[in-house]
Amino acid sequence: MNGNTWLPLLVIASSLLPGLIIFGLAENRVRLRIALNLVGAIVKLVLVGWMLWGTSQGLHYEMRLVLLPGLELVLRAGPLSLLFVSLSAVLWLVTTVYAIGYLEGSPYRSRFFGFFSLCVTATVGVALAGNLITFLVFYELLTLATYPLVVHRGTEAARRAGQTYLIYTVLGGALLLLGTVWLYTLTGTLEFTPQGFLSEVGEEHHFALIIIFVLLIAGFGVKAALVPLHGWLPQAMVAPAPVSALLHAVAVVKAGAFGIVRVVYDVFGMEFASGLGVTGPLAWLAAITIIYGSMRALFQDDLKRRLAYSTVSQVSYIILGVAIAGPIAAIGGVVHLVHQGLMKITLFFCAGNLAETLGIHKVSEMNGVGRRMPWTMAAFTVGAFGMIGAPPVAGFISKWYLGLGALEAGQGWVIIVLAGSSLLNAAYFLPILHRAWFREPPDAWPEEHDFGRKETALMLLLPPVVTALMALAAGLLASAPFSPLEWAKLIAVREFYQP
Amino acid sequence: MNVDIYAMLLLIVVAWPLLLAIPALHSRLPWPHHLAIMPAVVLMILPGEASLELPWLFFGTGFAIDGDNQWILGMSVAIWLMAATIAKNIKHDFATPFFLLTLAGNLGVILAADLVGFFVFSAFMGYGFYGLLIYKGDAEVWRAGRLYLIFLVLADLALFEALLLAAFTMQNLRFEEVRHVMAEGSSSQFYIWMVLIGFAFKTGIWPVHLWLSAAFRSVSQLTMLLLGGVPVTMGLFGVVRWLPIGEHVYYVLGTAIQMLGVVAMLYVVLRLLMPSPVKLLPAWASTAVSGLFIAALGTGLSHPVVWHQYEHLIYPFIAILGIFLAVFGFAIGRLPETRRSPALVASRAEAFNLWVERWIGTVRSWAKDRLLGFQSHQRASQRQVVKQYQRILNWQKPGGVGVGWSTRISLFVLLGLALAWLAG
Repeated sequence: MNGNTWLPLLVIASSLLPGLIIFGLAENRVRLRIALNLVGAIVKLVLVGWMLWGTSQGLHYEMRLVLLPGLELVLRAGPLSLLFVSLSAVLWLVTTVYAIGYLEGSPYRSRFFGFFSLCVTATVGVALAGNLITFLVFYELLTLATYPLVVHRGTEAARRAGQTYLIYTVLGGALLLLGTVWLYTLTGTLEFTPQGFLSEVGEEHHFALIIIFVLLIAGFGVKAALVPLHGWLPQAMVAPAPVSALLHAVAVVKAGAFGIVRVVYDVFGMEFASGLGVTGPLAWLAAITIIYGSMRALFQDDLKRRLAYSTVSQVSYIILGVAIAGPIAAIGGVVHLVHQGLMKITLFFCAGNLAETLGIHKVSEMNGVGRRMPWTMAAFTVGAFGMIGAPPVAGFISKWYLGLGALEAGQGWVIIVLAGSSLLNAAYFLPILHRAWFREPPDAWPEEHDFGRKETALMLLLPPVVTALMALAAGLLASAPFSPLEWAKLIAVREFYQP
Repeated sequence: MNVDIYAMLLLIVVAWPLLLAIPALHSRLPWPHHLAIMPAVVLMILPGEASLELPWLFFGTGFAIDGDNQWILGMSVAIWLMAATIAKNIKHDFATPFFLLTLAGNLGVILAADLVGFFVFSAFMGYGFYGLLIYKGDAEVWRAGRLYLIFLVLADLALFEALLLAAFTMQNLRFEEVRHVMAEGSSSQFYIWMVLIGFAFKTGIWPVHLWLSAAFRSVSQLTMLLLGGVPVTMGLFGVVRWLPIGEHVYYVLGTAIQMLGVVAMLYVVLRLLMPSPVKLLPAWASTAVSGLFIAALGTGLSHPVVWHQYEHLIYPFIAILGIFLAVFGFAIGRLPETRRSPALVASRAEAFNLWVERWIGTVRSWAKDRLLGFQSHQRASQRQVVKQYQRILNWQKPGGVGVGWSTRISLFVLLGLALAWLAG
């Protein structure tokens, strides 16, 4: 084994080891816990940067461990995995900083940060998984690591939300396992391969493959919050803001969407999946989810619930891009994996700031909050405009490629879905911005905390401002080398044009 | 002057006001509104043409200045300098970031060398202008703002569709390329309609002019100045930039658009017959002028030869129009808010009849002198005219006079158009 073999494992270990140590730390070891968290996150970022550089130089990073006879645990850094792993590494660092600020003085921080690190470990494992069984292992680990974070507050509502989350995700996991085992018995392999590994399967098995596709999509669809499997997501909003940010932008929802991308591209292959006739219904399901999520968001007064339904809608853009079955739409779908992450994490950080600083939880309480917390609301504004798809924020780039891809694939109806979704996004985000910037603030906020001359604690303020700037940069500098868009183009070329 | 520095100036013109929009920066500077316009003033004074390619920005875009957009830049600089002078005395510090954002968007729109740049900066301009529109903060202004915002989102959606269509048809989205390629593409008619609908929403062209009249009714003097000079003029500028006019004969489409423009002007004439607040006069002027403009565009689409004969006049025309609308808006904005327009029709039918009778009397005496032979026929037709006006007034009575009129007349005329279309 050389360095190239070990690097994927080191990337995983960079969050796993600090996590395990943190579990054993006493509550009052604040500095050590912070140091472990930050060092782990920074080391992971450096290692991922190293892998990115190496991959661009043509190096190949892969590690194999035998799990059972014929089944291997494979970690591999391909273009698609690196896109997701980079997103996770960057956002983990930012979320760690935010979580440190957010949970200052709260109880059970060692438990929280332990599971927090495990959660990121599982996400990175999902990203680097080189076959379906490795993916499944980390995917289930993700479920187990996020459950304690959802119920962290220990309230009745939190316990209920956790229960719902567990029921949904365990059922999803079971479907996934069933699909995976069936697929293995049919093909004898589960190795992710560009353009899939099923094209050689005989026609007599095609019906079985359609059923397997449905099982896998349903399994991943639970975490990706595809309608009608989305019910857990709005309920999970009782979790602390850093957890919500993690669920919506980095880990759980993204892992589901990423799983669907893997199934379509690297298990079935785009061409084979289209031939089976499964991408069309998937595109429709994504379209329904997009519109449904936006419609539900429109009527939520609770800010985090509104954002949760927005996630239901926005994550399906990724699935829509994949299901349209064309290279340009694929770019749009894949790049939205990153763009949605940046924009949605910004929005959740801001929601957390409003709750922690002023006790604001509802849209109707946000009158004039822009004057009280201008930086937070400026970041929120960037995120909201990105979600609408207004230029120059990253969401505009995603919608551009999705729309163009739909035209290229001759699926003009997608344009109507995109237009409808944009309209609905505008309808539920613009009134928030109007309230925040133009209405008169109330005499007193619901529960104001004093931060002196600052609008809030620096550890809470910096993360949303940084992620908002990143969302802005991803849109403005879309054509710059190493931008998410350029990376997504590389992935699309690999999927559609390489022999 | 060094060509590179000249090209860089194009970027600075847009980036500088954008940078100044950050409150921490502009609050430390004296005269930030004026300072933000200075690079544009320098660019306007410099002779010659320049362009700047920015391959890393969005999907690759650029800025350019040539003989055409220099007119528009000159107009905008003049209007923004006036606006900056007014804004300096406004106590609402809160409006300054929106002022600077709108300015940056406006300058970006003028200098954009392709569709993407134009679209992006028009979004800056549009959303920034929302802040300027409603910073005064009363209920009526918010209503106007809400209308404006809805129309803006719809406009952006329509333009986004047009943009996608253009990007699907061709690689290079520079204006001159778009004109050639989109004129011949199979989807050119859809593209033209999307562009027209988009800019009609943005500009407040009849029949989607409602936000404009609502805005003029309630906004501040600063916004009155900018309303005519920024969204309206930039919309007209955009239509000319985006449409493939003069490349291909679109007889039916061009004629339909011509009709639309003529109807818009007729609508204004009808609307002026109703008494209304004096602050609405710039709105009607704007609707009439955009109607005239649309009629001219229709002519260009149906008769490219005619368009080529007068094409060189279009940008100076937009520039003059912009100045006129801005100054008119500003002048009207200085009048007391309660003052009503010198209505061509009084609110009661009797008064109106008197006015018509007087007019008829004048015509009759003129006719008596010159056209004795036709006197009896004249009298009969004049009576007919009076009857028609009375009928319109009776129809108007139940609804009273207000914004609802705009909707009613628009619907009425639209219905007529639809019937004419079906009959045709």
